[in-house]
Amino acid sequence: MNQAVAITGLGVVSPHGDDPQAMFAALLRGESALQPIFPELPKPAAAATAAFDVARWFTKLQLPGVDRVSQLAVAAADLAMRDAGEQGDLDRERIGIYSGCGMGGAAALEAAYRGGGRVPPLTIPAFMPNAPAAHIAMRQGVLGPVLTYSVACASSAVAIAEAAAAIQRGDIDLAIAGGSEALIVPGVVLAWQAMQTLAAFEPGEAARAVRPFASARSGFALGEGSAFIVLESAERARRRGARVHAQLAGWGISSDATHLTKPDAPGQARALRAALRRADLQPRDVGYCNAHGTATRIGDVVERDALAQVWGGDFDALRVSSTKALHGHLLGAAGALEAVITVLALQRGELPPNMSGGEIDPACAMNLVLEPGTAAPALRAAISNSFAFGGTNAVLLFTRA
Amino acid sequence: MSSLKELQELIHEKFGIDPAELTPEASLREKGLDSLALVEFLFAIEDRFKISMRDEDSNIDTLGQLAAAVDVIRAKAPVSNTA
Repeated sequence: MNQAVAITGLGVVSPHGDDPQAMFAALLRGESALQPIFPELPKPAAAATAAFDVARWFTKLQLPGVDRVSQLAVAAADLAMRDAGEQGDLDRERIGIYSGCGMGGAAALEAAYRGGGRVPPLTIPAFMPNAPAAHIAMRQGVLGPVLTYSVACASSAVAIAEAAAAIQRGDIDLAIAGGSEALIVPGVVLAWQAMQTLAAFEPGEAARAVRPFASARSGFALGEGSAFIVLESAERARRRGARVHAQLAGWGISSDATHLTKPDAPGQARALRAALRRADLQPRDVGYCNAHGTATRIGDVVERDALAQVWGGDFDALRVSSTKALHGHLLGAAGALEAVITVLALQRGELPPNMSGGEIDPACAMNLVLEPGTAAPALRAAISNSFAFGGTNAVLLFTRA
Repeated sequence: MSSLKELQELIHEKFGIDPAELTPEASLREKGLDSLALVEFLFAIEDRFKISMRDEDSNIDTLGQLAAAVDVIRAKAPVSNTA
């Protein structure tokens, strides 16, 4: 069995703020950050945006060519490094950045399209999807591998898995891993609406638009934000006396190779089994699953089926919730944000609720966490699922420190 | 005509640099405008004055030189419009 990797820092700029504990407390209470956006669009839209004071992180002189997606990333990564505490003797060539991003600088592209022919000269460096990782590297002085993973909704879960693998191989001593996404701009919202995957809602009901696993579900809402974690070997963490939030004990990455956008239970089950195998755990050892749970008609049933296949006779003991009803779908940052939520659930022994707002679809029947403030003091291991367009599935398995 | 004062105001607005610090002789690079910030500043000048800067203007180093270049272009602008 490979040695588990320690998680020693957490940083978020999320729809529920930039303090991980306060964010988790709000999620535990079932508070939705979804609200109506862009009233000028023909079809109503809801999203969860992240309140962000750019002046805390950047002077005006530092901002040219820095899209919001990179601003959020720099802030979340910096918060994670601060949370990880004093590093002591650390070779900057042995730090790596593993960053997920689905789209890149959406606001920069939107401004270019809408500029009436006047295209800002820094559109390209602002838009390129590896800009967030590059800006983190410059801010933190990272001289090792600075890598970006663009795997749609699994981007940042894949990034975290790759970071942990690099630490286990001994390539690097410390990784800043996570993701960033900021694409709440009219053009992108219109594109997602055209894809028919966003939740419909009545006026005044935006906060409750997303209903994972419910009979009345109709899709997700977009969210923006960034989340990063600091990873290092358990031995290094012990040596420097770091506080360990949890351990990344396993991960599994698989491909459906069946359809570009339609999820596939056997493919997801392969990723789930791979994560268990790597962690050397049995399904009954895992008490909580932060589901991908995008509240689409097909996706929720397929995810439930994949979990049921792998957990078998122990399925009833697995508590499940999708927190996307509360923070929206952060796409390339979703895996990282939900990893942080899963780590906090383990650390605090509390489970965030699945706010479904009504009857659960019988085809999604499982042991959902339906009540806010659910305690789980015996929780020892938990997983976070991220299943991407393109067919890549990523599962992260965390154990209590 | 000198565009110096207007440029000082624009640079203050955009990058938060105090106009008193921006003497005509001051090097824009030394004041913290790297090559990317300078390119963006030239774009903002074009927007503000409705002019087109020349490619070689991106090599300018002081605010005085920049003001002189803007003055030349603004003085020519009506002529080139009717040419």
